[in-house]
Amino acid sequence: MMRARVPGLIVAIVMILLVLGIVILASASSVRGETYFLDAQYFLKRQLIWLGVALFVCALCARIDYHVWRKLAFPIGLLSLFLLVVVLIPGIGVRIGGSRRWLHLGPVSLQPSEAAKLATVILFSAWMALMGPRMRNLKEGLLLPLMALGLFCGLIFLEPDFGTTVLIGMVGMLLLYLGGTRIWILGIIALLGLAGFVVAVIHDPVRLGRVLAFLRPDLYPAVAYHLGQSKDAFSLGGFAGRGLGESIQKHFYLPEAHTDFILAIIGEELGVIATVGVALLFLGLMACGFFVARQTPDPFGRHLAVGITLMHVIQAGINIGVVTGAGPTKGIPLPFISYGGSSLIIALAGIGILVNIARQALAFERDDETFDGLDAIDSAKSG
Amino acid sequence: MTDRDRNIRLEWLALALALAFAGLVVRLVYLHLLTDETIRQSVEDKGTIVKPILTGRGRILEGSKAGNIVALNVGMFDLCADPALLAKSNLTGQVASSLGTVLGVTSEELRGRLNHPEKRFAYVARQVPDDLVHQIMDLKTPGIFTRETTLRRYPQGGTMCHALGFSNLEGVGSAGVELIADKYLKGSEGFLESRLDGRRREMYGWRVQDIQPQEGADVYLTLDENVQYMVEMALDRAMEKHRARGAWAIVQRIRTGEILALANRPNFDLNEFRTARPEQMLNRAIGQVYEPGSTFKVVAIAGALNEGIITTNQIFNTENGRWSYMGKILRDYHPYSQLTVSDVFKKSSNIGTAKIAIQLGNERFYKYLKGFSIGHKTGVDLPGEEAGLLTPVEKWSGISVSRIAIGQGVAVTALQMLGVANAVANDGFLMKPYLIRRVVAKDGTVLYKGAPEVMGRPIRGDTAQKMRDLMARVTEPGGTGTKGAIEGYQVGGKTGSAQKPTAGGYSETDYMATFVGFLPVQNPEISIIVTVDEPQPFHTGGLVAAPIFKEIAEQAVRYLDISPSAQTGLAGP
Repeated sequence: MMRARVPGLIVAIVMILLVLGIVILASASSVRGETYFLDAQYFLKRQLIWLGVALFVCALCARIDYHVWRKLAFPIGLLSLFLLVVVLIPGIGVRIGGSRRWLHLGPVSLQPSEAAKLATVILFSAWMALMGPRMRNLKEGLLLPLMALGLFCGLIFLEPDFGTTVLIGMVGMLLLYLGGTRIWILGIIALLGLAGFVVAVIHDPVRLGRVLAFLRPDLYPAVAYHLGQSKDAFSLGGFAGRGLGESIQKHFYLPEAHTDFILAIIGEELGVIATVGVALLFLGLMACGFFVARQTPDPFGRHLAVGITLMHVIQAGINIGVVTGAGPTKGIPLPFISYGGSSLIIALAGIGILVNIARQALAFERDDETFDGLDAIDSAKSG
Repeated sequence: MTDRDRNIRLEWLALALALAFAGLVVRLVYLHLLTDETIRQSVEDKGTIVKPILTGRGRILEGSKAGNIVALNVGMFDLCADPALLAKSNLTGQVASSLGTVLGVTSEELRGRLNHPEKRFAYVARQVPDDLVHQIMDLKTPGIFTRETTLRRYPQGGTMCHALGFSNLEGVGSAGVELIADKYLKGSEGFLESRLDGRRREMYGWRVQDIQPQEGADVYLTLDENVQYMVEMALDRAMEKHRARGAWAIVQRIRTGEILALANRPNFDLNEFRTARPEQMLNRAIGQVYEPGSTFKVVAIAGALNEGIITTNQIFNTENGRWSYMGKILRDYHPYSQLTVSDVFKKSSNIGTAKIAIQLGNERFYKYLKGFSIGHKTGVDLPGEEAGLLTPVEKWSGISVSRIAIGQGVAVTALQMLGVANAVANDGFLMKPYLIRRVVAKDGTVLYKGAPEVMGRPIRGDTAQKMRDLMARVTEPGGTGTKGAIEGYQVGGKTGSAQKPTAGGYSETDYMATFVGFLPVQNPEISIIVTVDEPQPFHTGGLVAAPIFKEIAEQAVRYLDISPSAQTGLAGP
């Protein structure tokens, strides 16, 4: 039966992306690793350790009944907010490249904004499940969740991590939309958000430069340079790619070759087949996630499944858009593939939860089928 | 809101996202596959570098024990510009004035060089010293860059200038040893085809071609800077003292033919070769042919002695200094009624020598002229050698034999004339002159070795011995070359005071004063020729050239550790 295969399909999609990610990371990060750490496998080794941890977390989450997260939603939200505040305190949060995004805990560093992605999804799902029909009200359906969303986004924005801010904002709004908030209210809010986006852009010369470079690359050669290198990478890759390890662009032409712009290296080394494949895999993940959501009987599980799915898919969409020059540059990693421990653990934790929801939903389905007769009687009664 | 509503909203969202992803897929396909082929090629070629790897031109080292470097390369930079880029960023004027100040060039001149927006390359200044280049590059002007280059330097300046020659701005040998040994000195240029990474550093793994340059080999000369110095000092003094047009001298080792010194005046500073005038650059010692005058009497008398048709004591009627032969009057400088062959030579009697040559006859005289390699290049390893002028015997007129015998109607180079004296000193063996002792590659391989080479033996050993005795008497009291005598040494020599030919005759005032000689007579080690062009007011070889010979020889025998008579080991390396 098709349905029974969905959890496996999710796992398969994620596994393909993970394997591709590790393989391409080995190539993309080698030049920087060798240059800065005298070890071509420097980033690969670290990512493999993170992957081990992340897979363990994933397996754990897949075994924990997802209803637990509903009970823990509020503490998780508070903890996440706490971390987002802590990271902003100078001396505790570590500033790298002008952003205060990292908490150093001994040998590992964590990115609270990554944790916030999952935390907001759990919190929103719990809230929407709790409110039920009251989501139609202005207060419960919009103002309160919007305040919470504003708090999270505001703190992340202060780091600043513009990409994650936009991502969490978008996913939060879409969850409200799916939760039943009136569309015209959301429309107004979306416009306000857009206005806020514009203000934020104009406020910051770096961001303004990025947007202007996106609109008029000829006027901002320095900003457009990186994007140009990214586009060149795809062009060099052509149909079948230059071959694994053969990237030119990773040799300091492309910035962030192993993190935010890793898709360009995939494109350069493996060609259009691989990059379109990645896009389609994320689309497939969306289809699976939405399917799971539809099959989930309880509202919390449904919201959670959609939220987690959206978090991954929209992040991937933004990343691909940025790397292909279809959207203004903002730093956001490609889920499952870009280098980065926090991002990987949170992404796989989300997948673990999604798999758990899927299993329960499909078990429920199977129960349904077992009690086909009862179901029929029920319908007959109501009819 | 019902489940159905929710599902519809979910479906709308799924559709929106699917459309967005479809857009991204289109974008990806576009970037991957639909890039303009020319743009793709330019991207493909990005960072590709093709550049020659310059190699160091070999050094030239002189032949004294010290083995000093007389020519070497110094690393330099050419300062270059991208005029197109400068024009694009409106920097041409600013750069021209700021660089002009640093380089000491007018900004107008620099602007003239840089104001070519259509060009991508122009030299701002060539061969700029390090410190100046760093000063300029620290300004970090876009469109200004450097290219490594080398500058040929000659530490001794004008010393040995004619023998060394120079290599031009492109590093190609253009004169002297620099030219003749260019193939050894230049090495071979390397070639690199590779790629640069985003930081403009080479990616070693991407090298397409990497041909290592072959470093130029070092050339070791026989020229000894100390002997050279003695010669040059003597010439400088002579130029001043005799208000001469020019002067040149060569010092040669008799047994081997090695040239120990070769100098000309006027000369020039090799480091400033671009400003040298042609007359300064002429290597007169090998490149100027002139009538040798009396020095040439050696050939006819040696020939006659070798043929056994005269003896040294045989008496010739020297006609009281005036003799008409075939309707032409021949005069002696000092009139004598009669002289022995020895005295004909010692007193340099034209009449006596002419009579000896006539007795020898055209054919036999010509044989000896050829035997001493008159009219042929000596083959010395220097460019610009002249062969001299010798009319073939078939075209001789009646008086030719009498005139050629006294060095008229024949033209030689100083090196050829020295070769004649050298052969006399060397038991009749004519040695090929050379000044490249060896060429050694950077890895120590000897690529070329100069070795003594006998070009012929025009006269027998016993004839040579007789000629040495005759030549020794020239510097003895009563001879023409007494001023060439050196205390403690027996010096063999011959003076020459040739009137310079003018249109239709000979000049009364312009002479070539020459002294060619060797010492010590019994075991000759070195031969020296000195020629002074248009000395004033004295003009005879005996008065002008012989003292210079003496000045050089006196120092040279001490420096070379030549003992007055006994055979010594060859001094010097």
